[in-house]
Amino acid sequence: MDLIYTIFSPKLMSQIFVGLSRTVILFIVASGLSLILGVLRIPNIWHGSLYMVGAFMTFTISGAIGGGSLGFWMALFLAPLGVAFVSLIAERSFFQHLYEREHIMLLLLTFAFSLVFGDLVKMVWGMEYKSVPVPRVFQGSVHLFGGLPFPLYNVFLLGIGPIVAVALWLIVNKTKIGKISRAAAVDREMVGAVGINVSWVFAFVFMIGCLLAGLGGALVAPTVNVSLGMDHTLIMEAFLIVIIGGLGNIWGALLGALIFGLAQSLGILIWPQFGIVFPYAAVIVVLLLRPTGLLKSTW
Amino acid sequence: MGGICMKKVIYLSIFMVGLLGLSLFSSSSYGANTIKIGIVDTYSGPPATMSQDVLDGFKMVVNEINAKGGILGKKIEFVTRDEKFKPDVGLAMAKELVLKENVDLLMGTISSSTALAVSDFARKEKIPFLVTNSRTEKITGEKGHRYVFGIAENTAMAGRAAAYALSKKPFMKYWIAGDDYEYGHSIAENVWNNLKALKPGVQLLEQTWWKVGESDFTPYITQIMSAKPDFLIAATGGATMVTFAKAAKATGLVARVPIYQHTVIDYGVLGPLGADGPEGVYGTAPYLFYYPDTPANKAYVEEFRKAYGRYPQMFALFGYSAGRLIEKGFQKAGAVDKEKFINALEGMVIDSPVGKLEMRACDHQLQLPMMFGVVKKSPNFKDFLVASDIMMVPSKDFMPTCEEVLKTRKN
Repeated sequence: MDLIYTIFSPKLMSQIFVGLSRTVILFIVASGLSLILGVLRIPNIWHGSLYMVGAFMTFTISGAIGGGSLGFWMALFLAPLGVAFVSLIAERSFFQHLYEREHIMLLLLTFAFSLVFGDLVKMVWGMEYKSVPVPRVFQGSVHLFGGLPFPLYNVFLLGIGPIVAVALWLIVNKTKIGKISRAAAVDREMVGAVGINVSWVFAFVFMIGCLLAGLGGALVAPTVNVSLGMDHTLIMEAFLIVIIGGLGNIWGALLGALIFGLAQSLGILIWPQFGIVFPYAAVIVVLLLRPTGLLKSTW
Repeated sequence: MGGICMKKVIYLSIFMVGLLGLSLFSSSSYGANTIKIGIVDTYSGPPATMSQDVLDGFKMVVNEINAKGGILGKKIEFVTRDEKFKPDVGLAMAKELVLKENVDLLMGTISSSTALAVSDFARKEKIPFLVTNSRTEKITGEKGHRYVFGIAENTAMAGRAAAYALSKKPFMKYWIAGDDYEYGHSIAENVWNNLKALKPGVQLLEQTWWKVGESDFTPYITQIMSAKPDFLIAATGGATMVTFAKAAKATGLVARVPIYQHTVIDYGVLGPLGADGPEGVYGTAPYLFYYPDTPANKAYVEEFRKAYGRYPQMFALFGYSAGRLIEKGFQKAGAVDKEKFINALEGMVIDSPVGKLEMRACDHQLQLPMMFGVVKKSPNFKDFLVASDIMMVPSKDFMPTCEEVLKTRKN
C-alpha cells in the first residue's frame, strides 16, 4: 500500500512539474548548442559564456529600466538579441575563416573565447553577486498538489518551453533558410554548388544558436545568483544532454533535457541525500544502451 | 564525418571543459627595502567577490601604513596570484612566491583545500601564513602548527555560535541541506553536533546535499517542505547563498519553515538580493557594517566607502585584521624576522571595527565575535534587507577551548 501511495502521491506530481521547469532552461540552451553542432559542426564551449552574458545583460537592462517588471520583460527581449549580435560579430570575424579546418581548431577557438569572455564579464560587470528580481506578475507561488507550493515563475517557464520548441521547429522545418541549413548540414559543398551563399546561412544558424543561449541566461536570471562561473556548470550539463540526445539533433536535446531534468527532481524524491547522482547515472545508462545517443546524430 | 573524429572531438571537449580556468601568472616589480607579502587567492569565478573584499580591506591598511612611512622604515609591498580555486595551482603559486619573489609572508586563501596545502608548505619552509578566508576548522585545529594563523571565523566557531542560539528556540525536528563540499558538510556537522549536545531531544529527519553551484533548488525545497520539519539548517556558501535565498522566497519556504544559514546576514548576500531578501531567515556573521554602532565601526565603514564606493562585506574585516596584525607584529618584533614575528603575534591584541581582537597564542586563531540575527526590512536602508534582533555573541562563549583544539592535533 505504501508503495502505491508513493507512486501516485502529490509529492511525485509536484517533483515532476518542478523537474519539467528545469528542463525548459536546459532544453533552450542545449538546443542552441545542438543546432550549432549539427549544422556548423562546432563543439561550442563558448555557448556557456553566452548564457552567462545573457544573464548579466538581463541584469543591466532590467536595472537600467528601473528594475521593475517592465525592465525584466524588455531585458528578456533585448538580452538574447544582444548576445546574438555579439555572436554574429564573432562568427563574421573569426569562426567563418575556420570552417574548412579540422574540428579541433574550432574547438580550440571556442575554448579561447570562453576564457576571454570569462575575464571580459569580470571586467565589465565586476565580481559582486547580482540578482534580478522576479517580475511582479510571477512573484510568489501557487498551490498545485496537496498544498505543495509551486513558484509562479516556474509556471511561466513551463509555458515558454513549448513556445520555443515550436518556434525552433518552424524555423528549421518551414522556412527556406532552415531547409537550406539542414541541407548544408548534410552536404555543404553541394549547397554551395547550387548557388546558395552558405557562409551567410551558417552565420544565421550560429546566431540563432547563440540567441538561444542568451535566452536561457535571461530566463534563468531571476531565479539564480547572477555571478561569474555560472557558465561552467551549465556547459557541462548542456554537453551531456546533447551527447545523450544525439549530436546535432534538436529533438535529441529536448529528450536529453527531459531525462536530465526529471532524473534530478525524481532522484531527490527517492534518495534526498544522493539526489545529485541521479542525472549523471541516467546519462551513463543511456550511453551504455545507446552510445551514439538516443536519436539520430547528424554527425 | 567518421566516428573516430567525433569521439576525438567529444573527448577533447570534455578535456577542455575540465581545463577551463587554468591560471595565468602575473608578476610585479620587486622592491629592495620593503616587507613583501605574497597573496594567493581566488580572483575569478564565484568566490572572486569575497577574495576581492578581503584584498580591499587589506589594501586600506597597507595604504595607511605606507602613507605613514611604513613599518620599521620599510614600505609594505604585496603581490597577488589567482589560483582559480585549484589547490595544486595554489600550492605552485605559493612556492613561486616564496622561491622566486622572496616574499616574507604568505596570505590567502578562500579555498580550504588550497589553504591546507599551502599551510603544509609554509610549515616546511618556515614562512608565516595568514589564512584570511578559508573556513575549515582544520587550519588551526588538527592541521595547525607554528607558522599558520587563522584570521577568518572557522566552521567550528560558527557552528557553536549557531547551535547556542538555536538551542534557545523551541524547534525539535530538523532537516539539513547544503552544498556537497567540505565547507557545507563542516558547517552542518558543527551546528548539529553542538546542538545535539546542548539539547539532546532534537531529531534529524533527513539530509539533502546538492552540488556546488547548483542553480535550481526548487526540487529540493518541495521535498523538504513536504516533510514539514520544524527547522532547516541550510549549509550553503559562496554564490549558492544568493540562489538558495531566492528559491526559498519564490517557493514560500521562508514563510513555512524557519531557516538558518551561516553568513546569510552578510551584506555580500543581502546587498545583491535587494528588496528580494529572504525575510525571516536566521544567520550568523562575524561582521555587519551597521552593527555595532560604534565610532570605530563607523569610521571604518566611511573610510572603506570612500576608497571603494561600496559597503564592506564581512570579508574585508579579515583583510583589515591581517593588515593590523602585520603592522603591530613587525613593530613588536623590531625586525623583519619570521620567527620574531610569530612570537610577537602570539597573544597579540589588535583594534578592529568590532572591538579588540586577540590572536590566541595556543592555536593561532583570531578571536572574533559572532553576530546572530534575523533578516528583516529596515527603515534605514531602502535598497536591501538587513539583520535585526542582533545578538552579539562574544568569542569566549563559543570558541572551542585551547585543550579541545590541541586535542585534535596529532603531532
